[in-house]
Amino acid sequence: MTVDNMKKENKNQHMHPLADAESEAAQAKEMVKLLDTHASHLSMRTLKQLENGRTQALKIHKAKTERINRDGTISYLVGWTEHHRIVTSGMLLAAVIAGFIFMQMLNKDIEYGDAFLLGADLPPEAFVDTTFEPSLNRT
Amino acid sequence: MASSQELSGFLRDVERRAFKQTVYAVRDEHAALDIVQDAMLKLAEKYADKPVAEYPMLFQRILQNTMRDFWRRQKVRNLWTTLLSSFGVGKDGEDDHDPLDIIDVEDGTENPMAQLEQSQTIKIIEKAIEKLPARQREAFILRYWEDMDVAETAEVMGCSQGSVKTHCSRAVHSLAALLEKQGLGTRATDI
Repeated sequence: MTVDNMKKENKNQHMHPLADAESEAAQAKEMVKLLDTHASHLSMRTLKQLENGRTQALKIHKAKTERINRDGTISYLVGWTEHHRIVTSGMLLAAVIAGFIFMQMLNKDIEYGDAFLLGADLPPEAFVDTTFEPSLNRT
Repeated sequence: MASSQELSGFLRDVERRAFKQTVYAVRDEHAALDIVQDAMLKLAEKYADKPVAEYPMLFQRILQNTMRDFWRRQKVRNLWTTLLSSFGVGKDGEDDHDPLDIIDVEDGTENPMAQLEQSQTIKIIEKAIEKLPARQREAFILRYWEDMDVAETAEVMGCSQGSVKTHCSRAVHSLAALLEKQGLGTRATDI
């Protein structure tokens, strides 16, 4: 193959994005192969600590799966409480509903108060005036 | 639901790569070990009921999130360290060197020269990977090292498939350029 042909081939390769992607993937695979080799040569301490992590994870997994198997549906239903986001949203929603109900009750009290004032024989100013009741009692 | 043996096999298979991947991102071996251990525990704790086929993606997502948490904590810690260092509180300078740190596992390569050359090449590649922007490094590692397809990588990274392709392409080009600069063409990685 002449230099001209090689140049042409290179030019053609640059014109095909698929060929580019393939050559990129091949380059990447070569690098990754070396990294893979290196990743298997870790220090004893690192390997020991990774093993410790794995052992702890397995202990947790065992405890979890045993619980799921033991009380199946109940633990599944109760298990959702472990998802703190759902619990927090639920609590927030409950607080909003409780607040709404409280406001409704408060409004009802105000309505009763208004009805009392309107239905009373005395003018509303008499209830506001603090000296009115003692003077009424005296008479 | 995955059995304990399946989980053990999965973690054994993935832990070394996960550790190296984390070291490239955080550039601290102790922190990387903590992060990988955290990710393992979270996987076992939160996803015990998931089938083993879902573990690779779940683990990668947990690992990436744990790394992000580490960066956030590091940012706050750095702020406090800067503040405290201005009041004269410094490091103790204690050296907790452990001989186990330098004992490597036997790799079975007979020729010491070839071994040395290979380890030098790997060091250059590792440095090049560390220099990559975080998203490019993440895409490169997930796509090529973890052997995920574009859709899976996109899901783990939380971006579009097009972005993954762009990140991967840029990462490979940057790495190839950096290796070329060091006198190692991509073919030279065959050393």
